[in-house]
Amino acid sequence: MTTAGVVFALLFYLAALVFAGGLTARIVVYARTPVPLKIPTTPAPTTARGVVFRMAREVLLFESLFKANLWTWAFGILFHFGLVLVIVRHLRYFTDPVWFWVAAAQPFGIYGGMAMVLGLAGLWARRILVQRIRYISTPSDHLMLVLLLGIGLSGLAMQYGAHPDVIAVKRFFLGWLRFSLQPMPESALLYLHLSLIAVLMIIFPFSKLLHAPGVFFSPSRNQVDNPREKRHLSSWAAVMDTERPHG
Amino acid sequence: MRMQSGWTLIGRMALLLALAGPLAAAVSEPVLDIGQGGKCVDDPRFMRLNHMKLMRHQRDETVHQGIRGGKYSLAGCVDCHASKKNHSVLGTDQNFCQGCHVYAAVKIDCFECHSSEPRRALAGEPLK
Repeated sequence: MTTAGVVFALLFYLAALVFAGGLTARIVVYARTPVPLKIPTTPAPTTARGVVFRMAREVLLFESLFKANLWTWAFGILFHFGLVLVIVRHLRYFTDPVWFWVAAAQPFGIYGGMAMVLGLAGLWARRILVQRIRYISTPSDHLMLVLLLGIGLSGLAMQYGAHPDVIAVKRFFLGWLRFSLQPMPESALLYLHLSLIAVLMIIFPFSKLLHAPGVFFSPSRNQVDNPREKRHLSSWAAVMDTERPHG
Repeated sequence: MRMQSGWTLIGRMALLLALAGPLAAAVSEPVLDIGQGGKCVDDPRFMRLNHMKLMRHQRDETVHQGIRGGKYSLAGCVDCHASKKNHSVLGTDQNFCQGCHVYAAVKIDCFECHSSEPRRALAGEPLK
């Protein structure tokens, strides 16, 4: 048993707990937040099915960003879809036997990694080079981009530079899933890659990355435009309604 | 939300692990039939991480410069590591190349052109 194996196993149990627990707590808060007003951004769909389509366009195509700023949209799409491919490629470390579609997607995961780094570089350049964006950027805006960029670059460095022992990495993570400690192969790049990922998981529930679950709860996107057909009344306002004498 | 100190949490997780350890199912990993085996042309750990680079390098030397008989060669790998059961490095998940490549979902293109059987088998010599 290597020290690195124990350290990373514990680190990832901690990270997974904070990530899952923190995210759940946040989503509970979002779900309980009062929505007193009917405020869909018009033109908005007038049926529930329409809202599902609108939300799908927002989540899958970043529609409102497309209409707002084409450059930011392009880099954002590059990063997010690259990340999807990268995550699919990494599923090979957690499944045995590897699912056929994960095996088929392996080469695209590498292109995804490049797209992801390219998109992040573009988004970071925007924060530095566009004066008005630089003015409103906080350290955490930069930190998130640097963190994700570090994860992407260390991953590509392993692909094109020094391979780690991927068989041992997979054995480690299959073991980790089953609470069985397995050794972690020696590789500085791998240690860096995994540490950055653990940091990302831990700060995710406290960061701007919460836009991932948050978008589903935004009233200007998820509401049906039917204020005349159906009166909008939140539960706490309904109570006040019954207590108040009607004139 | 009141947080317990980080170290207490880590301590509890370590305890949980120690308790769950014996219950843990065996972790699957490739079990390889290394064929004839013997001493490899280089350190096995080095070969595990770099065999793909060595083969690509050898391909360039052989195809572009006509250099044959170097230290590393695909046919050399196959000669030592073909299974004695099916005389190949492919076929089952125990075979030398296929075992790890299936485990890690890495496609092997080599044998779409090259032979997965040892040269002495192709020459019709008896196999040990």
